[in-house]
Amino acid sequence: MEVIPLSPLQRSVANREPIGRLFVEGPAGSGKTTAAIAWLDQLLRSGIPADQVLILTPQRTLAQPYYQAVHQPDLPAGSLPTIQTLNGLAQRMVLLFWPIVAREAGFARPAQAPVFLTAETAQFYMAQVVQPLKEEGYFRDITIDDNRLYSQILDNLNKAAFVGFDHTELAERLKASWVGKPAQLQIYDQAQDCANRFRAFCLENNLLDFSLQMELFSRHLWPSFLVQTYLKRTYQHLIYDNIEEDVPAVHDILREWLPSFQSALLIADSDGGYRAFLGADVESAASLAQTCEQHIQFTGSYVENEKLSMLSAYLTDALLRRAYQPSPAVEQAHQIHFERFYPTMVDWIGASIETLVRADGLQAGHIAVLAPFVSDSLRFSLMSNLENRGIPVRSHRPSRSLRDEPAARCLLTLAKLAHPQWELPLNRQEIRQMLMLAIGNLDLVRADLSAQTLFSPRKPKDGLASFDLLVPAMQERITHRVGEKLEILRAWLRDYQAEPQPLDGFLARIFGELLTQPGFGFAKDLEAAAVTARLVESVQKFRRVTSNEDAGKLYLEMIAGGVIAAQSPQAWEEIGRTDAVLISPAHTFLMVNRPVQVQFWLDAGSLNWWQRLMQPLTHPHVLSRRWPEGRKWTDADEYAANQESLARLVRGLLRRCSGRVVVCSVTLNERGDEEHGPLLQAFQSLRRRLNLTEEAA
Amino acid sequence: MPLPSDFVFSQHNLQDYLDCPRRFQLRHLERMAWPAVQSEPILEQERHMQLGEQFHRLVQQHQLGLPVEILEESAGSDPNLQTWWQAYLRHPQTELPPLRKPEFTLAAQFAGFRLLAKYDLLAVDPGKRAVIVDWKTNRRRTPTARLRERVQTRLYPFLLALAGAQLNGGEAWQPDQIEMIYWFTAEPDNPQVFPYSEKQYRSDEKLLRAWIDAIVRSADQPMLMTADQEHQCPLCNYRSFCERGQRAGAWEDGDGDVTDEGDLSSIDFDFHEIEEIEF
Repeated sequence: MEVIPLSPLQRSVANREPIGRLFVEGPAGSGKTTAAIAWLDQLLRSGIPADQVLILTPQRTLAQPYYQAVHQPDLPAGSLPTIQTLNGLAQRMVLLFWPIVAREAGFARPAQAPVFLTAETAQFYMAQVVQPLKEEGYFRDITIDDNRLYSQILDNLNKAAFVGFDHTELAERLKASWVGKPAQLQIYDQAQDCANRFRAFCLENNLLDFSLQMELFSRHLWPSFLVQTYLKRTYQHLIYDNIEEDVPAVHDILREWLPSFQSALLIADSDGGYRAFLGADVESAASLAQTCEQHIQFTGSYVENEKLSMLSAYLTDALLRRAYQPSPAVEQAHQIHFERFYPTMVDWIGASIETLVRADGLQAGHIAVLAPFVSDSLRFSLMSNLENRGIPVRSHRPSRSLRDEPAARCLLTLAKLAHPQWELPLNRQEIRQMLMLAIGNLDLVRADLSAQTLFSPRKPKDGLASFDLLVPAMQERITHRVGEKLEILRAWLRDYQAEPQPLDGFLARIFGELLTQPGFGFAKDLEAAAVTARLVESVQKFRRVTSNEDAGKLYLEMIAGGVIAAQSPQAWEEIGRTDAVLISPAHTFLMVNRPVQVQFWLDAGSLNWWQRLMQPLTHPHVLSRRWPEGRKWTDADEYAANQESLARLVRGLLRRCSGRVVVCSVTLNERGDEEHGPLLQAFQSLRRRLNLTEEAA
Repeated sequence: MPLPSDFVFSQHNLQDYLDCPRRFQLRHLERMAWPAVQSEPILEQERHMQLGEQFHRLVQQHQLGLPVEILEESAGSDPNLQTWWQAYLRHPQTELPPLRKPEFTLAAQFAGFRLLAKYDLLAVDPGKRAVIVDWKTNRRRTPTARLRERVQTRLYPFLLALAGAQLNGGEAWQPDQIEMIYWFTAEPDNPQVFPYSEKQYRSDEKLLRAWIDAIVRSADQPMLMTADQEHQCPLCNYRSFCERGQRAGAWEDGDGDVTDEGDLSSIDFDFHEIEEIEF
């Protein structure tokens, strides 16, 4: 393991005896995780078998430093520690002990294996439950996309499991806090009915969405003598990092479990709580401190410099409307840049990053471009701009839809073409786009001519007509080189129809047998291969869970209807490994927890930095453990929560910055609107005060 | 691409290297996704692999002490699984040492890198003997000569001798205290036993070191396959990337084994990583 010079405080953590419980608290970047890794190293070198060590984090990304540590070659020989989220551990326990708890937990088929639902498959089943009710008139009074409707009902179920109340109480809690129009009360009741029916459906069919998985663990597995004995015998030492980002139900289990560990190290980020919208509970985490005999407070930062610390403090004061007197030193820690229009801002950012990389010698991986949301157009324009300048760039949007990827759209069009019996709508534009990608080096004009002449939207079942039947003049225009490939494509589709496969099998076959063959569009295209791999995985999971003969058709219909987005989480490790400018939503960046030297904050005027996502069926604050039963959620509460949330976000981002932050604002945003949100106002307040200080001097 | 210092060698990636250095480079160094069909028929192969996973889990549950009558019910969900399960119960492995560690992972530093193995079952009697049991759910029993050549047969006992002291009261196992058993669902009465020895340990040490050294030396250059390895291309998903054909080969021509030795970081999908979907 790499030898890192430790501070005295870190040494006091690393060198302690492996007995008792220690609570370490401090800001991000103060060296807590480094101390924990040194402690892990110490534990293993003292001869404690690594399989007795459990390392828990609330989210997989936060475990990356521990994964890296256990991959170091000079770690002592022996077993390995378990690195998990409690969710991951729960899933393992469900698999292992399913036969003894399934019946008592109410599952109708205990002899059959459980089926874990992904976000997509859960939405698919929720759609089966909700659609008939919508036809009866449910949710008639609100305007909301189907996929958001489903995801919010699922989110409600998750909140109940995280906080630890019964899912049948959701509507009562939401209604009790509501102060608006009475019509909303009925919508909460309808959402409750959908949640109840979905839960019953899951129990009937051995389906485990995330909430049921957590409930099964906390209500049936954890209380089981057999499971507790197994867990307590297996794990003697615990490292639990970023406890403030975990949910109360997990804290409850840990509170009971802690006394049985020989040693435990609990680590809290004092500025954290960024996952509050997902149910993270800072107060519940803090209460775990009371179970620890020893407390250590970390201070300072190995990442953030003094000027950034000051900037963070001033911005917090400005946001929370407190008096402050800024030091001119913070001028060096930030820059504010205004442009009138979005495209010119994107170009300016590209040029600035190019200067940082080429003139200042900064590594591209030490730069992050952050926004409250990363839209497709922003992602595309910024990535294209940087790529054109030869700057390596990566984007990360956990919820980015695969169907937005050109390679995936090409594959889905081919799937419709190959399965005419599904009778899915297909138009010439899709055919044209598909041909441009599938046939190597096919330009728009020839692709369009091919689509116009070879495909009839009135007879989609006929598929592509033969190039050989075109008049010679048209063949010349399209060219015989392209015609040859069109015939190969036709022949492949015809042969495939003689021995059809499940949709994922079709995708894998056409990828390997046609699209990546020499001269075709995906040949040696690693990006297209990565997209295809994720699409195949998504379809495969869907097929395995639904066990429906028409799973392929259903999948395409769900995509077209916007019920599912064919999303698949990108490997976080990939992001960490690559030396490339990162484009990411601000909250996602916090959870990747990888500090950078320079941050660009886009759309500083946007209200999205401040206000939470509009969610008419759920409420992260009211459905938290902190909210007093029956209390109304008022505009004042909303305002205070948004202020506090933005202040925390700003602190978190600056804690993960070692150089400076460049704040970018446009007069007219992507949609052409003018915005002056609280983040921009805070910077303007700071600027005014700095100018006054300058004038006074 | 040079070999990263935290690269972990396992039977899976070493076997890939021996089968085809190019495949090793693409899959394990460049981590290139190339989702072509590996072998056909897809569904039959998938079903067999799922059954293999279920069988491994049943055995793990049994070794952990879950009651047989409850596990019976799970095994009854599929006739093939039921057959395998009954065969397993008919061969209760009573001669195995008493301390059982199912699904156990060991790792150690070797040749400057980390060497890792995930055992289906380690049965040990500290100070006396240690038995490695590997459940094979292939459709046919692998021939002994072929098994003997597999990296797994060399790596697993070697690593137990190198890194298994925690299972022997802190003392390293002597190679002659170790044996490896392959148990086949296809031929439950005919397991394959490989006793281990000091001589074999020395030989394996030399061989493993030579493989790793060769990989380190060539990692930053394009790795190429040799002519005698080309017959494997039909069963490799990188076939089209290497321009070695179109159609996947028949699954029954391959090993058809279930390997559960994945990447250490490939823990389960985390719903927390998905934000609300924007359309």
